[in-house]
Amino acid sequence: MKLRSFVLWLAFASLSALPLLAHHSFSAEYDDSKPVKVTGVVTKVEWQNPHIWFYVDSKDEAGKVTHWAFSGGAPGQLMRRGIYKEVIQPGMTVVVDGFRAKDGSTASAEDRIPEGKK
Amino acid sequence: MAKSVALIFVFSLACLYAQNASTATPRTPDGKPDFSGVYEWPKASSGERCRCSATVFDRNLMSPLKPGGEPFLEKPNGDPRHDEPRNFCMPAGFPSGMLSANAVQFVQNKNYLVIVHEFQRMTRVIPLDGRPHRKGLEPMYYGDPVGHWEGDTLVIETTNFKRWGLDDYYYTDKNQYRMHSDALKVTEHISWKNPKAVAYRMTIDDPKTFTAPWSEDFTMAAKPEWDSTGLYEYVCEENNRCPGGKCPAP
Repeated sequence: MKLRSFVLWLAFASLSALPLLAHHSFSAEYDDSKPVKVTGVVTKVEWQNPHIWFYVDSKDEAGKVTHWAFSGGAPGQLMRRGIYKEVIQPGMTVVVDGFRAKDGSTASAEDRIPEGKK
Repeated sequence: MAKSVALIFVFSLACLYAQNASTATPRTPDGKPDFSGVYEWPKASSGERCRCSATVFDRNLMSPLKPGGEPFLEKPNGDPRHDEPRNFCMPAGFPSGMLSANAVQFVQNKNYLVIVHEFQRMTRVIPLDGRPHRKGLEPMYYGDPVGHWEGDTLVIETTNFKRWGLDDYYYTDKNQYRMHSDALKVTEHISWKNPKAVAYRMTIDDPKTFTAPWSEDFTMAAKPEWDSTGLYEYVCEENNRCPGGKCPAP
């Protein structure tokens, strides 16, 4: 799992997140002054247009589970860069850097990772 | 000695032939330059950068704004249909969509050049047979293009636009949503720059907005290795979880 997490991080680190945010307004939805780092288990992946979404359950020290949703680029943009859906599958443990959404309930992409939502 | 000279001469000719063969402009059966293939989106060698996926026009190349003309910059008004229509899967339009960071495919024959952009599957069918612009059409997001040849350069003139966003610069500055008017005419000049890239110039003529036409030169890198997959599908409505920029919690 650790290796997969690293591979996933590397894969997304090779992206520039902002170039992936063509479809909806990053600045309108997310606050780039509020970065977050989430470690958790992928529960679902939607490899679909206009943006991929994947969902992560993270658990704090008290055992409380938080559900997150992260979004990235269009599947075509990712595949054009050699990143296919096999890189992220349910059950994987991942580390995702993102930004919180402006409404406080979400997180989103930073320069390396797709945006997300809690 | 004579044999050596002859051998060198033949060898030089062979090298010259090989060089020409590798740099020759690809041509269609009727002798026109053939642009068929898959490319990267237009990129500028310099110019403004955008906090977005797209190439944006360089403000320094633009002509002065026309005094009393239509507003070039619009501020967000809180209505996502105004601030980012693509949140609703509305089209990027042209020229904005052409500058999105996706693959672009050119399919060409004697009578048409078809440009398909992977972003939103923008498709422009450009007649090359000398016909004039169509008449009586409603203004369009992608306009009405016609093409003609000037030597080895393909020239495309597109008119009949809706007022719409010119490019994606507002991702960099939300108060600078650049707009073009319905008087816009875009002229594209396409020619082979070298065997691996096409020179792509866009001339923006918008007399309601600018005092004079202005141009920017871009390069589109040929990506024959992308031909094996072709363009990927892009159906915005498939899973648009954030209509209007509001993403519901999972």
